[in-house]
Amino acid sequence: MRSGEAKQSHPALSTLALYSGGDLPWAERWRLRRHIQQCPECGQQVSRLHSAREQLQREAGLETLTAFEAIGDWNRLEREMLGNIAVGVAAARCVDKVGRGRVVLLRMAIAAGVVGLFVAGWVTHVPKEQTLHLFASLQRLAGAQQPRPVAGTVVRTLPDGIAVRAQGATLMIMHPQTAVVLLSGPSAVAARYVDEETGQVTIAKVYGQ
Amino acid sequence: MGSSLRRAALLASLCFLLAASAKSQSKWLVVEFPHDSPVLMVSSGLGPTTARVRGTSMELDLHASVMLRNTGTKTISGLTLRVEAQDLTPSGKGSVTVPSLDAQPGQIFPVRIDMELLRPFNAATNSGAVVQVSLDCVLFNDLSSYGPDKLDSRRALMVYELEARRDRHYLANLLAAGKLSELREELNFGLQDLSLQQLGLELLHEPRPQFQREQDVSVGAVSFPSSPVLTMGGAAHVWGNEVRAPQVEVKNRSQKSIRSIEMGWIVRDERGRDFVAGAVPAAMQLAPVETARMTEPGTLRFSRPAGQPMVIGGLLAFVNDVEFADGKLWIPSRLDIKEATQDPTLRRALATSPEQQKLAEIYRRKGMSGLAEELKKPE
Repeated sequence: MRSGEAKQSHPALSTLALYSGGDLPWAERWRLRRHIQQCPECGQQVSRLHSAREQLQREAGLETLTAFEAIGDWNRLEREMLGNIAVGVAAARCVDKVGRGRVVLLRMAIAAGVVGLFVAGWVTHVPKEQTLHLFASLQRLAGAQQPRPVAGTVVRTLPDGIAVRAQGATLMIMHPQTAVVLLSGPSAVAARYVDEETGQVTIAKVYGQ
Repeated sequence: MGSSLRRAALLASLCFLLAASAKSQSKWLVVEFPHDSPVLMVSSGLGPTTARVRGTSMELDLHASVMLRNTGTKTISGLTLRVEAQDLTPSGKGSVTVPSLDAQPGQIFPVRIDMELLRPFNAATNSGAVVQVSLDCVLFNDLSSYGPDKLDSRRALMVYELEARRDRHYLANLLAAGKLSELREELNFGLQDLSLQQLGLELLHEPRPQFQREQDVSVGAVSFPSSPVLTMGGAAHVWGNEVRAPQVEVKNRSQKSIRSIEMGWIVRDERGRDFVAGAVPAAMQLAPVETARMTEPGTLRFSRPAGQPMVIGGLLAFVNDVEFADGKLWIPSRLDIKEATQDPTLRRALATSPEQQKLAEIYRRKGMSGLAEELKKPE
C-alpha cells in the first residue's frame, strides 16, 4: 500500500523529461524541484535525463559539422543558389505579371470607353460624307487606295476662279464668290457673275482639250 | 545651302523676266481684233498686275480692262472674247462673255478680264505676248453674228439672248399685273445670300479604264412639256464623287431635223438634294422621230464649296435647249420650268439665267423703280 502511495507521489517520466529540458511552466517546475530535493530516486532519473540530453546535443553538434562539411562542394552550392534565385525571380515575375495585367486591363477598359465615346460622338455629329472623305484620305496616306491618276488637261473650279491646267501651266480666270459656277461643255466650266464695277453680267469660261 | 541657291536662282529668273517685261507692257497682254470687226478697241490697261514666285513657277496676276466701241450699225446683244496663254496653247484656253449687253452703235463699253497665270520657269517662251485676247463672236439684236466662233460662242450667245427675252417678258408681265410679291421672290428679294448652292467641279479628259468599284447608276429625266426632244433615261458609272461617261437616250418628237442638243445635268447628293451641275451642248443629227444616245466623254468630280467630296446619290438629265437644222433654237418656257418639277429650289435653279441675274442686281441696287425702268427698254 505504501509503495502504491509512493508510486502515486512520483511524477511521470515524461514530466521529469520536460523538467530536465526546462520546458515546464514556472509553478510546475517549482513544485517538481521541491519533490526532487526530497526524492533521490527522481533526482537520479533527472540526472540520467540530463546526461542523455547532453549526449544528444553533442551528437547533434557532430551532425551539423558533418553537414557543413558536405556543403563545402561550392559548385553544388552555386547551382543550388542560382536555382533558388531563379525560382525567386520567376515567382516575383509571376506576382508582378498578375499586378501588371490588372493595370493593363484597367487601362484597356478606359481606352475602350474613350474610343467608344468618340465613335458615338462621331457617328451622331459628323456627316457621313466627311467620314467617307476622311477614310479615303487615310487610305491614300496609307497607300491602300491609290489616287486615280490625273494627267493631261484638267479643268476645275476653285473658290475664287475657274482654272485649266495643261502642259505644266495653269490659267485661272477669277470671279467673285457670288458667281454661279456651272458645267458648260464637254471640256468647259463657266462662272457667271455680275461685275461690280461695270454692272454687266459676265460669263467666264475655261476650256480643256 | 542647296535650297538657298535654288531660291536665289528663281529670284534671279523672276527679276530677269520682270525686267524684260517692264521694257514693253505689251509683252504681257495683247488685244487683237480683225480690221472689219464691228467692235474695236478704244483703249486697254493693266490694273494692279503683279508677279511673284510660287514654288518653281511664276505667278502672274493680270487685271486687264478693255474699252470697246460698237463701230457697226446694229445693236450688239453680246460678245465673247477669247483668252489664250501661250503656255497652255493649244490644250487650254479661256473666254469672257458679256451677254445682255445692248450696246448701241457708237457706244463704248468696258470688258474686264481678271486672270492668274501660273507658268513654270523652265517653260519655253516665244516672242509673242504672254496672254492674247481676241474676238470670238459678236451677236447682234437681230440674232445675226460676226466672228470666227472657234469656241462655239454663237450658240451660247443665242441661248443667252433668248433666255433674256423670255425672262424680261415674264418679269415685265408680273410688273404690269401688279404681282410685286411674286416679282420680288423671283429676284431673290434683292438679297445676294439667296443665291443658289454651289458645287465644285473638276473635269478630267484623259481616257480612263473602268474601276471595279464603280457602280452603274440609272439616269432619271426631268421633262419639259413643250420640249422637241424627249429624254428617255440613261446610265452612268459612279464612284464616290466621280461620274464617268454618263449617257442618255433621246428621241426627236418634233417634225424638224435637229442639229444639236444641249443636255443639262442635275446631280443628287446622298441626302436627296438636287444641284444643277450645268449643261453640255453636243452636235447631233437627229431626224424627226429618230432616237439616239448622247454620251459625255471624260470624268466629272463633284465637291462641296468647301472642297470636301460630294457623294453622288443619283443623276437627272434635262434638255436645256435644242438647235434645229434651220438654225432656230428652242429653249424651255417659264411654264415648262414650272411644270417640270415641284421642287422650288430646283425650279429656281432651272429658271436662273444671265438676264435674271442682271435684273436681280438692278433690283438690289436701284429697287423696284430701277427695275421698272430697265424693263421698259425695248428688246
